[in-house]
Amino acid sequence: MRSAHPLLWPLLVVALAAVGVLAIALGAVPLSPGAVIDALAGRGDANTVAIVRGLRLPRVVLAALVGAALGMSGGALQGTLRNALAEPYLLGVSGGAAVGAVLAVSFGASSAGLVPLAAFAGAGGAVMLVLLVARAVGGRADPRLLLMAGVVVGAFANAAIMVALAGAPPNTVRGALWWMMGSVSGADWGTVRWLALYVAIGGGLLLAWARDIDVLALGEDPAAGLGVDVDRAGRRVYLASALLAAATVAAAGLVGFVGLVVPHIVRGAGLRRHRAVLAGGALAGAALVVAADVVARVARPPAELPLGAVTALVGVPFFLAQLRRAAA
Amino acid sequence: MRARSAAAAAAVIALVSLVASLAACRGEGPASRTADAAAEVGTVAAPLRDDFGDSVQPSGVSPRTRIVSLNPTTTEVLFAIGAGGRLVGRTRWDAWPDSARLVPDLGDGLRPNVEAVLATRPDLVVLYASADNRAAAERLHAAGVRTLALKIDRIADFRRALLLLGVATGERSRAAAVGDSVAATLGRVRRSTAGLPRPKVFWHVWDSPLITIGAGSYMTELVEIAGGHNVYADLPDPSPTIAMEDLLHRDPDVVLAGPEGARLIAEGAAWRRLRAVRAGRVLVVDTALVGRPSVRLGEAATAIARLLHPGTTP
Amino acid sequence: MIRFDDAVLRYRGAAAPAVAGVSFEAPAGRVTAIAGPNGSGKSTLVRALLRRLPLERGRIALDGRDALAIPQREFAARVAVVTQREEPAFPLAAREYVALGRYPHGGRWRTDRAADDRAVSAAMERAAVTDLAGRRTDELSGGEWQRLRIARALAQEGGALVLDEPTTFLDVAHEMALFELMDGLARGGMAVLVVSHQLNLVARFADTVVLLHRGVVAAAGAPAEVMQGPILERVYDWPLVVTRDPAVGAPSLVPLRVRRGA
Repeated sequence: MRSAHPLLWPLLVVALAAVGVLAIALGAVPLSPGAVIDALAGRGDANTVAIVRGLRLPRVVLAALVGAALGMSGGALQGTLRNALAEPYLLGVSGGAAVGAVLAVSFGASSAGLVPLAAFAGAGGAVMLVLLVARAVGGRADPRLLLMAGVVVGAFANAAIMVALAGAPPNTVRGALWWMMGSVSGADWGTVRWLALYVAIGGGLLLAWARDIDVLALGEDPAAGLGVDVDRAGRRVYLASALLAAATVAAAGLVGFVGLVVPHIVRGAGLRRHRAVLAGGALAGAALVVAADVVARVARPPAELPLGAVTALVGVPFFLAQLRRAAA
Repeated sequence: MRARSAAAAAAVIALVSLVASLAACRGEGPASRTADAAAEVGTVAAPLRDDFGDSVQPSGVSPRTRIVSLNPTTTEVLFAIGAGGRLVGRTRWDAWPDSARLVPDLGDGLRPNVEAVLATRPDLVVLYASADNRAAAERLHAAGVRTLALKIDRIADFRRALLLLGVATGERSRAAAVGDSVAATLGRVRRSTAGLPRPKVFWHVWDSPLITIGAGSYMTELVEIAGGHNVYADLPDPSPTIAMEDLLHRDPDVVLAGPEGARLIAEGAAWRRLRAVRAGRVLVVDTALVGRPSVRLGEAATAIARLLHPGTTP
Repeated sequence: MIRFDDAVLRYRGAAAPAVAGVSFEAPAGRVTAIAGPNGSGKSTLVRALLRRLPLERGRIALDGRDALAIPQREFAARVAVVTQREEPAFPLAAREYVALGRYPHGGRWRTDRAADDRAVSAAMERAAVTDLAGRRTDELSGGEWQRLRIARALAQEGGALVLDEPTTFLDVAHEMALFELMDGLARGGMAVLVVSHQLNLVARFADTVVLLHRGVVAAAGAPAEVMQGPILERVYDWPLVVTRDPAVGAPSLVPLRVRRGA
């Protein structure tokens, strides 16, 4: 069976570095490379320095963290749930977060403070709800039950959001919709710091459990036969992945498809053991979201496209490819 | 064969995505207003048309005719020209003048509840002329009710609306008087700020996404009249979305914001990157006064001039 | 040596227990077969060993110790289970798949590479799948996949091997090869416990047959003792005769056709 190309890892690192550089150099305001380098060093026009160091740099780092987190979360969930179409948003994360955010926006909260907190709380609540529903119905957190419970909770969340927005004043609707479409435009170093912490902890845990996921991917009975406490291992991977995704939603709104597509990309490149899938997923996911953010910023200046819209467009060729493979 | 259909499907999807992204945020294009340039001067040449292309005729002439106004500006104008007593319905956002609150609230002005409007048995319904309201206009026509659709984005639009409402209600002379008064005030303000240095102004409308005022809005005109210059006067849309980076680059001297917006600016650490914010030059405007292009335009211009050039008495 | 003592197992929400007091022993160096009709509780016993079903009453012992008190990982290093069905969600290279059998022996972060490689190579040789090393798990035939799974189980290097219906997708040649393999492993000192409904093969290879019927042991002992016409007819609820196969001398089950009404 084809093994991963020996240059894959350096390639991933270079790709991430390249889009990172591009993301700092490009933006709504055209800046010469010299001006960018000066600004990074702190020299030159105060506004240019503010643009490069205060706006572009934190948002590039935030985009990379969001992508890394989603890439790892998706990879871990697809392995544990034994489903190539699983993605973190399916398990109640996106619906719950959106409910939290919409409620916060309708009570007048600004995007900077309360909304991310409410989004995270909503996501966390929904994740727990999914777990409880699956357990209540089936007695165990079976993968199929988890996915179906996720769909149920998601549907309920969507209904709640629609009801909340139906009678809301236009500003609330606008703010809520903008948040739901995902963006790293509000990135600041404070957000970057706490997300980095989350990603380090959550990602570290998932990497530590990567071998468990390798075994879980064989099936529950075979995994039990190899010595894995299936319920416990599955549950903790599920929780870690979901909370990692919830953290990204709190930081940047809904950035869809990344958790779904990135694991397929790295597996397609020949990575199979989950430690590699997760690490590769982190690099590839980071590169993908940073690239998407560049597109979002330069496609229609001076306005920005929502980040979630760009990543959703990525989903289209992905699903076409899946369709072709299924038909073949 | 399979490759061809796959390519075709991909092409269709790409095309649709392209069209969608181009269409989004296009904003409303100006309707047929050029033909009424003559009407601006006061002569009634060919039949007057509103912004949906329907002809305007005096249909609310008697004090007993029933008018529904689904727009804060037109509600205020109707009161100003003495036709307020004929109003049997307004939107929930129409709060001026105070006596407007006594008129029954029929809900939203965009995609209005047509049943509620018809229940008041109106003779004339004044609508905001956006694409959203075309369906409502059709339904009202089907029920035999006249409509007057107006798009009021710039000061010239306001003057035209004033004229058309005057014609429709038979209060042309009072409408003309209101128009003259507003024009006089605006002229006075413009002259008093003519020689003064023009600060670069950024008008903060909303935070996420970042929305400001462009050339398509009367608010840009007010800033010009009040002796300032909107840094986004080069964008044609009335309320374009922009990026923070771009704003930093344009480096305004002054930020104009409503109380809500000023609070968001004060709370948001990101805003302190702006020189104007660091220098404390965030000026709070009364959104009730400047929020719509109506009979108080003159007062609005005066208020803004006082903010931009304190100490001058326009 | 695996031992079940009066085990009672019940599925969640079921009125009657699936296994209602079963006792037997699978000693080292022997092939012990569990046979019986569908629904008699055979696979349930395997699930109990996998800890996928809680033991309601009774005891399972491994080499004298309470099996369920042994940490699951340690248990897996001593008992390898080949389940009835297995379908990995994502394809692996065959050798990588066998290497997963080393999971019980590895630490969280590091593992003894040399020992792992040796165990994997030995297991693949024993199961005769060395030539499949570079193939994809989703491109193997039924027989190849089955043998690969056994290789993975052998890589666990346990003293006991449990197989649940291992010959389901195998043709005659592979069936025989598999039973010969099990026989060879038992001669080498392993405790082999196989659940199978292939009574004729069981009769030829097993040292002990445990016949289950509706959750209890209907008969247990050497194949000749258990494979008796009246016992089997009662258990399988189908007319049959047991003959002694002249070619190999083992008891042979021959189900009879139902006589059509006149």
